[in-house]
This record gives sequence, structure tokens and C-alpha cells, in this order.
Amino acid sequence: MTEAVHTQGLFKRYGQQIAVAGVDLVVPAGSFAGLVGPNGAGKTTTLSMITGLLRPDGGRAVIDGLDVWRDPVQVKARVGVLPEGLRLFERLSGRELLHYNGRLRAIPMAEVEQRTEELLGVMDLREAADKLVVDYSTGMRKKIGLAAALLHNPSVLFLDEPFEGVDPVSANTLTDVLQRFTASGSTVIFSSHVMDLVERLCDWVSVMSAGHIVAQGPLAQVRGDRTLNQAFLDLVGGPKRAGDAGLTWLGANGAAAEESPSAGGER
Amino acid sequence: MSTALLFARLKLRLVAGNLRGDLARKLGFVFTLLAAIAVAALGFLLMSLLRLAEPAMATDLAILAFTMFWIGWAIVPLLAFGLDDTLDPARLSLFPLRTGRLAVGMFAASATGVWPAATLIITIGALVGLASGIGGVLVGIGAVFLQFALCLVTSRLITTALSGALRSRRGRDALAVAAIFAVLLFQLPNLIANRGLGDPVALITSTAGVLRWTPPGLAAHAIADGGLIGLAELLVLAVLVVLIGWLWIKALAHALVTADASTQSASVRRSSGIVDRFLPDGPLAAVVTKELKYIRRDPRFRVGWFASIVVTGVIAFSITGQSGGGGGLPLVIGPACLGALMLALQSCNAFGIDGRSLWMNTVAFGDERGLRTDLAGRHLAAALIALPLLALMTVAVSLFAGTPSAILPAALTAWGVYGVGLGVASMTSVILPYTVPDRLNAFTGAAPGQGGQAFAGSFAAMIGIAGLSLPLVLPVLFGVAWVSVAALPYGLAVEYFGRRLAATVGHARMPEVLAAVSRPT
Repeated sequence: MTEAVHTQGLFKRYGQQIAVAGVDLVVPAGSFAGLVGPNGAGKTTTLSMITGLLRPDGGRAVIDGLDVWRDPVQVKARVGVLPEGLRLFERLSGRELLHYNGRLRAIPMAEVEQRTEELLGVMDLREAADKLVVDYSTGMRKKIGLAAALLHNPSVLFLDEPFEGVDPVSANTLTDVLQRFTASGSTVIFSSHVMDLVERLCDWVSVMSAGHIVAQGPLAQVRGDRTLNQAFLDLVGGPKRAGDAGLTWLGANGAAAEESPSAGGER
Repeated sequence: MSTALLFARLKLRLVAGNLRGDLARKLGFVFTLLAAIAVAALGFLLMSLLRLAEPAMATDLAILAFTMFWIGWAIVPLLAFGLDDTLDPARLSLFPLRTGRLAVGMFAASATGVWPAATLIITIGALVGLASGIGGVLVGIGAVFLQFALCLVTSRLITTALSGALRSRRGRDALAVAAIFAVLLFQLPNLIANRGLGDPVALITSTAGVLRWTPPGLAAHAIADGGLIGLAELLVLAVLVVLIGWLWIKALAHALVTADASTQSASVRRSSGIVDRFLPDGPLAAVVTKELKYIRRDPRFRVGWFASIVVTGVIAFSITGQSGGGGGLPLVIGPACLGALMLALQSCNAFGIDGRSLWMNTVAFGDERGLRTDLAGRHLAAALIALPLLALMTVAVSLFAGTPSAILPAALTAWGVYGVGLGVASMTSVILPYTVPDRLNAFTGAAPGQGGQAFAGSFAAMIGIAGLSLPLVLPVLFGVAWVSVAALPYGLAVEYFGRRLAATVGHARMPEVLAAVSRPT
């Protein structure tokens, strides 16, 4: 098994708080990998450190056998990134954004133009191509962001929450493109907390909790005979049963409360 | 009444909540508080000192002051604060409140705060300064409160009526640029006075004569009059306040049910590719193309550039005006180099406006050469606009000062200074980067908590540019005009070495630069 991504003891702290406490992430080449974990588990921090956007306090990250922090030129040519928060050049149009992104990587203009038009077509963004990114909806931003990440044909693609806030139609477009991408032998790693989606798309799962990898491997192995959702809750420690105390007024059975004089205040 | 109290408490709670935890904000609030107290005390004193002036003059001055407060209340909240939580009616639209009560509540909320209190205190100062006799005091008290209410409801009416537009991107863009014009507007009286156009006393009397019939003019006059005419004026004023209040309620009701139209947007023109005709295809052309688009499209660029030109223009106008023409080379060199310095300062935080999108460059460039290309592209784009602009400014100032022979040496020197500026600015861009917020306001150009960094960056750039430019500017200033021939090569050399050094330093600390310009605003 060749590894597309391999980290050893990746570590990051912010002041007192340890965000990532020694992550050993392994993703085999050609896999569609999901990085799952609750909010605050350190998924974004880990992805930022692997893609060279955030300096780790310790450990190392290797992509395609190349150290991210020692050989950045080689690594950056091989990775495509869609970071969290949809941070894009807002005052460029979708088409201009793709052109900029391609030419920044020294791809000839003619080639960039051809790839841009094809990507805009596949992403169903032709009509909005000349509108400014600042006016795009969330789904359109995710799609143009993914197009920008794919434009230089990377071998490993890192996506942070690519499906968050995306409508089903756009999500379908995104998954189609990504599945075609991995079918050709390239690697996709995306973070998410939508377990159904991860279960449907991924063949490799890494589960993060509180800055650690708590489980990692092929989907079937991590899941066992449970659903991925149940497996995930078991691994990260599901919610403590709140019990039946409190919230008695909530729902149709609490209708008596409507007549109580305390509700409503002065009128 | 309980509604008013509730909203006033909500406003106080919001102010307190904003301060929690963040030292910079606490310091900022203390500073605001001290400033408001100082302004209130000084304003009260000045207004009460009107008693020493002769009555007619005192009334005229009060009319001017009241009108200024009124205009100030109408436009300053729009420019400086945008919409804060208590003022945006859309946030309250889900609560079961009738429009009338909402209006009372929002009036109470806007009356709560340090600046409203300061305004009220200064206005009361007019009572001390103008009122005569019991009648004057009684009418005066009414006038003071009506003037205060007038300021508030006018301000509310304008923010509410524009709130739809302010929430859209285009509206905010337009407002950002409009802020500059407002600053210029406030500078206008100063300029006119400096140029000695007309007799100040006559100017005041004639202006007050016109403003006397505006609502704030009525209020000021009513205090001074204190008789039946004053009472009648109060009546008119009260009707006006109620009318504006009514309009405000209408606007509020309208704003609550009107959809946000900000997602409708027009397409941009496809680029004509002029840059590509002159530059070889590649990263450099990409950066130049993108930067030129940003300078045209991003209001923050427009504001910065426009402000530099205006400041330079105002200073050039004042300097050359005072000397009375025929001042020679130094009078042209000064403003020209100042203009170059101001324009170069626009580049002293080159990555700040990219902000959170800078990652796209970071993941594309893996080595120092990439960053060097990036900086070169930014400099080229800025220079494409700044150099012709500086030439134009130099020509204008030279002709204005009556020394056309100064054009060539002054323009060359200014270009040299601009080159030096870019070299220094690329260093501050990588050493002292900070986030430029999407929405500029009048007080800071940096994200919360980075004000110090922004100040240090601009200050270091200014010192650096001035220091490195002195060997160039001083000889020319003292009449050795031929030195200006060396200006351009000197500027280019500083730009080249500054950019190289900045790329070396910047590449090593790129993640830190990225973090510094990606702060939440």
C-alpha cells in the first residue's frame, strides 16, 4: 500500500489549549478518505498543517513521500486545497478566479482557459461565471472553490467541510466530480460530520476526537457491523442521556402552559 | 415607559457585552468615554461662554452649532458605525412588538450611550449661554430637548430608511467611498478660512441668516428669544419632530417587511487583456491583472487611493496658497514627494486586503521566487496607476505655483521616492502585516486588537521611506536639480533590494503572515 498522506506526531497548541495532540494520520493513495470528528476535534487544524498553511509545533507531514515543510515546492504542485470558511478572492468573478489560480501556478493561458470553461460547465456555473464571487451563494462558492482546487490537476485533494451548507443538487455535482477524480487513482481527503455522506462516499475513514486519531482504516473495518453513525458515537463518547428532567413544557403535551398567566409578560 | 427602560437596558447590556474579555476593546471604550467626557465638558464650556459674546453674534453662533450637530447626527452614525445591533430593525422583527412600541424602544436605545449624553450636555450649554429670564429658561429647556430629539429621530430615520441599502454589498461599497467625501466636507470651512475668502464675521452672519429657518436654527433662536416667538418656534419644532418620528415609524414598518435585495447582482465585464499584451504569460501577469481589478473594484482600495490624493491636494493647495506664487522648486518638490509617500503607504500592508484569501497564493507558491513574483506584480500594478497620477499631480502643483520649470525634476524625484516607498513597503508588508476589515470606519483600518500593529506598520514605513529618500530629496530641495536624474535608478534599486529581502523574510514566515491577515473582523 502506497501512502498519499502520512503524518507523524503532528502537534499544535494555542496558548494553554492543545488543538492537535500528536496526530498520526495515514491515507492510502487512490482512496476517498473521510476525516470525521465532533466540532473542535482538530480536523481543520490538522488539514491546515498538512497543506502548509499553518506551522505545526511538532511532528511531520509527508505527502507522496515528500516532506511538506522541507520540500514545499514539490508538495504544493501536488496538492489541491479547499480550506474552511470559503475564503476566496471576493472581488474577482468566478471565471477570473479560476484564470488567476491557474496562471499563478504557471500553467499557460490557453490551457487555463480551456480547463476553466470545462470546469465551469461541469460545476454548472457557466451562467454565474461573470458575477463577482462576493455575490455567490454558499453552494456556488463551494463549487468554484473546488474548481480552483482541481484546476492544476493535483494528485491529493484536501477539502475542509466541502458539503456544509450546500444544497442537494450542488452536493450531487460535487460528489460526481470527486468520484471521477478518485476513480483515476487520485486521492481525496475531506472533513465532515455528516456520517451518512461519509458512509456513502468513502472507502477510508479516520476518526478524530480531542486532538487525537481514535480510529483509522477501511470503512468496513472502522464501522464493523454498526452504522458509521453509531460507531462514531461509540468512539467519541456519545451524548450523556439528559434524562427526563426539565423541558417538560416542550411539545404538544405541554399545552397547559399556554394558559398560564406568567407567559407573555405585559401586553 | 417600561418598553423604553427595557431597550435602554438592552443597549447598556450590549455595550457591556462587547467589552467582556478583550483588553483592546476595554481600552478603546475607556478612550471613547474619556473623549466623550472631554468633548461634552469643552462643548458645554464653549456654549456657555456664548454669554460673553454680544447677543446677536451669540445667537448666530448657536444656530451654526445646532445645525452642525443636526447634520453630524444625520451622517456620522452612517459612516462611523454602520448598523449596530440595537439599530438594525431586522434583528427585532421576529419579536412580537407593535411598530409604535418598537419605535419608542429604539428611540430609547439610541438615546442611551456616551455620545447622545455628550450631545445633550453640550446642547444644555446653549441654555446657559443664550437664555435670558425665566421665560427664556422655560422655553430653552423645551428647545434643548426638542433639539436633542430632533437629532435622534433624524439620525434614526436616515439609518432606517437606508438600512436595506446598507445591508447590501453595493450600498456598503458606496458608503465606504462616501465617507471620504464627508471628511472633505468637514475640511471645507477650514480651507475657505485658510484662503482668507471673505470676512469671517460676515460669513457667520450670512450663513446663520440662512440656517436660522432650519429646524435646529429654530431651536437655537427660540432659546435666545424666550418670548412668544420662541414658543411658536417650539411648536413648529415639536410638529417637525413628531412628523420625522412618524416618517421613521413608517420607514421602520417598511424595512421590517422588505426583502433583502443584496443577492441580485450584475455581471462584470470580461477583461480586455491589456496587461497580457505587454507582459509574458505567467504568474506575474496573473498577479498584475488581479491587482488592477482589485484596485478598481474593492472599496478599500478606492478609499485609500482617493484619501492619499485628497490629502496631498489639500496640503499642496495650502502650501502654495500661503506663499502667494513664484515659490520655486522646493514648493513643488514638497507636495510631490508627499504625494509619492502617501501613495506608497497604500502598499505598506500589501497582503492585508487579500486577507483570508491569501491562502490561495500561499498554496501556489512554494519558494522565495514565488513570493518575489507576487510582490513584483503588486508593485507593478500599483505603479501603473501611481506614476501617471504623480506626474499629473506634479504638473498641477507646478502650474499652480507658477514654476513650470519644476515639473521635470519634481516628477522624477517623486517617482524615485515612490520606488523607495515600494521597497520599504514590501518589508513592512511581511514584518508587520495586519488584517484590513471588510468594512472600514473612520477610526481604524485594522481588525480588533491589531490597531497597534497597523500603526507601527504605517509609522515604520513612513520613517523608512523618509530616511531612505532624504539623500535624494535634500539636494533637489536645496536647488541641485540635476540630482533628480538619479532618482529613478535609486528608487528602482531600493525597490529591487527591498523586494528581494522581503521575499526572503516573508517566505520563512508565510504561515505567520497568513494568520496575521486572516483575523476575524
